Amino acid sequence: MATSVVSRARRQLPLSPWLFAAPGLLVTGAFILYPFVSTLVNAFTDRRTLVPGRFVRLANFREVLHDDTFWTGLRNSALYVVGVVPALVVLPLLLALLVQKNIPGIAFFRSAFYTPVVASIVVVGLIWVWVLDERGLVNSLLAAIGIGRVGFLGDQWLLLLSAMAVTVWKGLGYYMIIYLAALANVPRELHEAAAVDGAGPVRRFLTVTVPAVRSTMVLVAALSSVAAFKVFSEVYLMAGPAGGPAGEDTTLVMLVQRTGTGLTGRVGYASALSIVVFVVTVALMLLVLRVDRREDT
Amino acid sequence: MPTPRRALAAVVVAAVLLPLNACGSSDGGGSTDASGKVEGDITFQTWNLRANFKSYFEGLVAGFEKKYPGTHVKWIDQPAEGYADKISADAAGGTLPDVVNVSPDLVAPLAKAGLALDLDKAAAPYKPEYLDGAWSSHRIPGMTGTYAFPWYLNTGPLFYNKRLFKEAGLDPNKPPKTYADLFADALQMAKQSNGRVATLANVPTVEDFGRYGVELMNEQGTAFAFNDTKGIELLTRYKELYDAKALDPEALTATPESSGRKFLTEAVAMNPGSALDLGNFKKQAPGLYRNIGITDQITSTGHVNMYVMGVMVNSRTKHTPAAVAFAHYVTDAQNQMSFAKKVAIFPSTAGSLDDPYFTKGDGTDETRVRIAAATSLKSAVNYTPVLFSEQMKTALRNEVAKALQGKERPKAALDNAVRACDQLLKQQG
Repeated sequence: MATSVVSRARRQLPLSPWLFAAPGLLVTGAFILYPFVSTLVNAFTDRRTLVPGRFVRLANFREVLHDDTFWTGLRNSALYVVGVVPALVVLPLLLALLVQKNIPGIAFFRSAFYTPVVASIVVVGLIWVWVLDERGLVNSLLAAIGIGRVGFLGDQWLLLLSAMAVTVWKGLGYYMIIYLAALANVPRELHEAAAVDGAGPVRRFLTVTVPAVRSTMVLVAALSSVAAFKVFSEVYLMAGPAGGPAGEDTTLVMLVQRTGTGLTGRVGYASALSIVVFVVTVALMLLVLRVDRREDT
Repeated sequence: MPTPRRALAAVVVAAVLLPLNACGSSDGGGSTDASGKVEGDITFQTWNLRANFKSYFEGLVAGFEKKYPGTHVKWIDQPAEGYADKISADAAGGTLPDVVNVSPDLVAPLAKAGLALDLDKAAAPYKPEYLDGAWSSHRIPGMTGTYAFPWYLNTGPLFYNKRLFKEAGLDPNKPPKTYADLFADALQMAKQSNGRVATLANVPTVEDFGRYGVELMNEQGTAFAFNDTKGIELLTRYKELYDAKALDPEALTATPESSGRKFLTEAVAMNPGSALDLGNFKKQAPGLYRNIGITDQITSTGHVNMYVMGVMVNSRTKHTPAAVAFAHYVTDAQNQMSFAKKVAIFPSTAGSLDDPYFTKGDGTDETRVRIAAATSLKSAVNYTPVLFSEQMKTALRNEVAKALQGKERPKAALDNAVRACDQLLKQQG
């Protein structure tokens, strides 16, 4: 009797981890695995929102290569990575160094720098549109000091730069918190030893702080480059649904949204675009990690 | 661990097969016969109307349920943003409400997918109750039938800023009446203000091409045709305005909201609107309100543009008689008139526009705008083709922008836009 209970328990034991994992697996399956596989399958069909698709092999991917809007989107998404990632790796670190010290009132500044992170992106986008409008705050200041008004929202490149600035401004606080956690782990003795050896603040920053938080910088670079490549809200809100003047500010995710949604959406083609975005994003992530590994060796 | 491995395999297989299955999903439809007993539970979806008209719709539903005992109407309202996406998700998922508030461009794909009931068959006796133009606004080129009851119509005047007109040396009491006047006045305004004040804030849309007298589609409705001589002429004139800053430099990225804001802040001298806007001007920009001028929409065709709202019946409803009866009830003359008295919209039912509410003035600007709009609606046209999708609007807008920026000649830009729209039309099936 005792033997059979033990053997039954032994037989059932392997199920337990799966049962514990089941809720998480179900959620992952329903909201990540299923949509992903669905997208993968749709990418090889000409499915539209209300019309079942037929299998079209690689036709969607061939069309992607000949689609000028895709190349515009790829250019803008890539530019976004180039413009935003360095700023989001360096500036939050400097900000974290500023607010790291426990001095009276510092909590206010930490909260203030973090506020844009919790603000709704829609509200943030609208506020920046008003600020950068031809008669907005920035242009009024520029006009007051004699520089003249600048069409931030009417020019393709200025619009993209403005959207990048908003992304950086909104992301600073988030990455600052990550750096604050990393800086807390940098031994104070290292700074003290470097100071005794005559190193000034800049030298200590470069030779002590940066090496100590290098792995965090890689993490921030990886996270921010993936987020930058998939940018949607900032550009959509500031450049409009058409993607700026003549659609020249369209990003890849905006293109996916525009192509695949609505009652006449081309779900198959938008799925193929999504797969391309996925592949490029994974490649970008691997590239960042590879650069990190190479520097380690 | 054979069991979990099999379970995992089953999950993976299901994940692969379910989307394939979804590709071909299509369930059976309900009846097209609306002659049975009006009974059962139905759902009615409106488009961003709950916030301001909750009591009106609750009264409407209660009135219908009282008139037809045994019916129950569940009213749901969706926000304006993403309305088309909500409908497409419901349509694809088989959860489209029984009665749906739609615009003609939303009806077209639903009708093509067999989801909109043909009212020429199911509700033919009601047809004479509506204005001919309104009833036909939900017909789809290439298909027979009418796929929604016409509901409320809207049109509006062109507002202009008398102070800005005066400062530019223009007669504030003689606003432009023709396109030639409009272009000349706009160029003068830009010149006099040193490019500081633009007259227009939006790039031309398909509706503007229609109002200018451009043929938008061929007679069969199988291809677009707005790249004709008149279309090129309109775009060339707009390019002149853009170069002279008579068209706002931010027009390329403007939305109706942003251009409305520019008019409100007196950065732009003219803007289309409706009687509803007058209250807004009075409240938000009293300075502008004191100088507001009101004139008719400019057209080369003699027909102003109108916007049409419709009420569609889901062809897969399980209660066709109740759904058709309710859609008719919402849009009948009495209820449309009652709704029109609550907000600045116009009924699409025959004879309603002759009601003294739309013909007798009381000296206020609001009434003057209402009477002018009601008069013009009798011959108004919905210029936007029902097959003109959001993707087509974007394609046209982007090509127009390229022409205005000088990256393409107007003819090349319109040729490209027509090609892109034809391609999208073909893909719509």
